[in-house]
Amino acid sequence: MTFRLTCPVCGKRDVYEFTFGGQERGPRPEQDGLSAEEHFRWTQFRLIPNEPQEEWWYHGQGCGVWFRTTRDPGTNREVR
Amino acid sequence: MSRLRPGETCRVDFSRPLEFSFLGREMTGYAGDTVASALYGAGVRIFGRSLKYHRPRGLYSMEGESANTFMSIDGVPNECAETTELRAGMAIEPQNVRGDPGRDRFGFLDAFDRLMPAGFYYHLFHRPYALWPLFQSGLRRMAGTGVLDPGAEYRNGVRTERYLNADVAVIGGGPAGMAAALAAGESGLRVCLFERRGRLGGQMTWRVRDFEGEPLYRRAGALAARVRAAENVNVFTRSPVTGVWGENLVTGFAVGTEDDPFRECHWECRATTVVVAAGCMDRPLVFNHNDRPGVMQVGTAWRLARTYGVRPGKSVAFSVADDLGLEAAIDLDDMGVRIRFIADARESGQQGPEVFDALCDRAIPFFPGCAVSRAVGRKRVRGCVLRSLKGGRSRRFRCDLLVANAGMQPRIGILATAKARLAYCTHTHGYQPTELPPGVFVAGSMTGLRDPRSIEASGRVAGYGVAEWCGGRLKSVAGARAPAREAEALPGPGAGCGIIHAPAIGRGAKAFVDLDEDGTYKNVKESIARGLDVPELAKRFAGFGLGPGQYRVAGQNLAMIMADLRGDPVETAHPTTVRPPLGAPSLATLAGPGHDVHKRTPLHSELAGRGAVFRRAGAWQRARHFGDDPSCRDEIRNVRTNVGVLDSSPLGKFRIHGPDALNALQRVYMSDMSKARPGRCKYSAMCNDMGQLMDDGVVVAEGPGDYYFTTSSARAGDTVEWFRFHTRHDDWDYNLVNLTDVLGSLNIAGPNARRVLERLTRDNVSNQAFPYLACRRITVGDGVEARCLRLGFVGELSFELHAPASYVPYLWDLVMEAGADFGIRPFGLEAQNCLRAEKGHVIIGMESEQRVTLTDIGMGWMWDREDTVSKKVGAPALRACDRQPGRLNLVGLRVEEGAKAPRDGTLVVDGDKIVGYVCTTRSSDTLGWQYGLALVHREHAFPGRRIHLCHEEAPGQRVTSTAFVMSPHFYDPRGERLRS
Ligand SMILES: [Zn+2]
Repeated sequence: MTFRLTCPVCGKRDVYEFTFGGQERGPRPEQDGLSAEEHFRWTQFRLIPNEPQEEWWYHGQGCGVWFRTTRDPGTNREVR
Repeated sequence: MSRLRPGETCRVDFSRPLEFSFLGREMTGYAGDTVASALYGAGVRIFGRSLKYHRPRGLYSMEGESANTFMSIDGVPNECAETTELRAGMAIEPQNVRGDPGRDRFGFLDAFDRLMPAGFYYHLFHRPYALWPLFQSGLRRMAGTGVLDPGAEYRNGVRTERYLNADVAVIGGGPAGMAAALAAGESGLRVCLFERRGRLGGQMTWRVRDFEGEPLYRRAGALAARVRAAENVNVFTRSPVTGVWGENLVTGFAVGTEDDPFRECHWECRATTVVVAAGCMDRPLVFNHNDRPGVMQVGTAWRLARTYGVRPGKSVAFSVADDLGLEAAIDLDDMGVRIRFIADARESGQQGPEVFDALCDRAIPFFPGCAVSRAVGRKRVRGCVLRSLKGGRSRRFRCDLLVANAGMQPRIGILATAKARLAYCTHTHGYQPTELPPGVFVAGSMTGLRDPRSIEASGRVAGYGVAEWCGGRLKSVAGARAPAREAEALPGPGAGCGIIHAPAIGRGAKAFVDLDEDGTYKNVKESIARGLDVPELAKRFAGFGLGPGQYRVAGQNLAMIMADLRGDPVETAHPTTVRPPLGAPSLATLAGPGHDVHKRTPLHSELAGRGAVFRRAGAWQRARHFGDDPSCRDEIRNVRTNVGVLDSSPLGKFRIHGPDALNALQRVYMSDMSKARPGRCKYSAMCNDMGQLMDDGVVVAEGPGDYYFTTSSARAGDTVEWFRFHTRHDDWDYNLVNLTDVLGSLNIAGPNARRVLERLTRDNVSNQAFPYLACRRITVGDGVEARCLRLGFVGELSFELHAPASYVPYLWDLVMEAGADFGIRPFGLEAQNCLRAEKGHVIIGMESEQRVTLTDIGMGWMWDREDTVSKKVGAPALRACDRQPGRLNLVGLRVEEGAKAPRDGTLVVDGDKIVGYVCTTRSSDTLGWQYGLALVHREHAFPGRRIHLCHEEAPGQRVTSTAFVMSPHFYDPRGERLRS
């Protein structure tokens, strides 16, 4: 498996340079009155869509930025 | 044995003989030979024995498509004789054979084929199960290919890797590939051209047919010279491609010659576009006894004669299915090889009347609509049976070589790895791409083109297509369109033959679909009879196209034969999935050169000078201990009673500053970080979302919105990622600077630590002015400013100096000089590990793991549970686990006097239940007994509890001993020594 991602700072780079940060699942929920189930839903629960999804990537071997991109897990390609 | 003199097409230099040995017999080949051509030239006809039936096998392909000619060369098994270039002094042994392959003692197995139907190992041998090891070892001895010597060193020669970047990767250095490379290069693109053979030109290098007034091989030479001279075309020969991957990453390897600095080099080329011009290979003709030594592909016989000057046989029968086969036969006849007859599976459709004229001139019998149906002879071909495809008449001929194929088929492996959609084309009778991935182009004979001009033109079209794709500047639009128009005027793809197998197949004889795995036509039928009637199932059941033959010879034929047997049209046939690598790099190459990329602390040479034994710890080489006592008793005692110094430079060191720096700290640290004060170390820890301890360290405020903090050495590399990840939605304004490598540090620890420090600085470091957990900037020696942190990880009075890395060796010298009177000595990681464990201080990954939270290991006190506003990472999980039963807790253990000493990892048991394990355990001189830190289930985690440790001496042999639970703070539980 190999593909490329577009870092907003550095441009298109090999996926080897990045770390996956999971699906975008919205900001960290408010903790006041947060039930355990809601918390685990936010941290653990993942959808497995057969369509492009928004996800986080970290350019660890490059500029060190976390960025969001839309990628199709079926083809591994970014979509824009 | 005398060689032919084929003239300019010859690659062999007869003036440079090379001596080698085969089965201990001395033989001679020539520079330019492959192992296979040299063996064949020296008269060897039986190259090995087949996998299952131990049938004699000879030279079948010249391109590494058959595993039957794998040899052990200089002790390295499974070397491909067909493609490995001969070197002087090679010691070559055949495989899967006892002694001479002509007289193999397992040869009788061929007669017992009824006991070995398709998939026989799946339904025999496994009952009774106890006998399986016996069967297994027997089968292993009789079947298989090369034998590995477990004691041998196979990582011979230099293995390197190379990472390339190109606008265009052209795969295949034949006429189409070269034309594509030239066209793309002229358009200003950066081109990498990969050719698996030693030189450019493809099949044109051995063809003498006329091409616009000169022989084809000269045309190939002229093109190659232009490619070599082209400025932006990089040519890689002896470089097979192993696959094309996502977004056109091309991988492969280069085989070094004696002039290269490497033996084999793995390369990867990230290309914007790819031109696949991989050419064609012979499609095997499946007929009875088609595996006999003396049956070979058209290209094999032709190249033996034209490229290597080896006479392939004395009396040669040809059974072919395309014009290239006819051309080969006529050419061999011209070289003085007697052609017994030519059978052409096609009734008609041969191109041009000159072929028939040539056959008449040479008086070669020609049989259209016929194919060879059987090879005669056991260890050597002695004749063959020719049969009409319409059935009925057959005729027997004598010959000593049978050249047979069912026409040519495209090499589609590369397209398959690139995930191109392929379909059987009923015009060319080969698999053709119907949909190509973005940026992938196809050119040359693999598209079905046969006319050399068309092949070259298709390369030019691809080259300009690539340029257009890349947005390159074409000389003119008209110029770019010209090759397409020119190509259209030339002959298109020729009609293929579509013969699936020879007539009268089976009938009590073996007809091999897969030579490598001994898969026969009968096995295909057996597989279908058992309901495994699609290629993917038959492949797994009967082994077609497994092992080294993945997708080479068997893949396409198997699919066609199965469709035929099922009565389906051939275009419904789907070949089995391609498994990379398409070529065979050696494992040593894939293992890589074995770089040990590590960091050294600024004190590396000082430590080495004092006898440090280094160990890899994360990214660093660190001193494990000094001298030759791995238990470090003296180092430990010296810290406890006197003073020691530790190189703690790998410790993570960071600065965070900005208006939202505190917000970020509050998010990731469990404590209330607003309490971080200037001049004071605030100890805290980070958790992940599951409440597991990830990191610990101290934070010091250095100004408004400005903090200095430390992390554990192991986490230093991930800290920036961690902070930014957990604040990614917040749009906070802070800067995080990793100072780990910029600052070195050393830790002076022990009761005499202050007295040593006093000699280095004029600053007041007394207990009143510089209490426990204070952090000061002090001036050391000749004015070096250092952060000094009074911490106590090892449980003694200690001062940690953080200073610019380049000053740290100077500080080290000062400390050693100042401490000399006390007998200061360095200590290493193991001493630190024992010292901190005696104190009950946790190391992440040793006493904490996935199943335990911060609270479980007794550090829950630091968690600011009132704070919900900062949304601390891990807080909800800690809350959820608070009163959860069945959790593991960290405890101290005192091992019973005289009991068997546990080791790190020893299990804690309750009856036959595992209730925990010992994380770290040592026999302590300080305490006078063996202690341990253990994670045990909560119901056992209270002081005074007697628990059982289970030692496994050998598999199945268990001994238990007892220990008592106590607080993990074995040493100085009230922390008086830290504060002294
Ligand atoms: Zn970047």
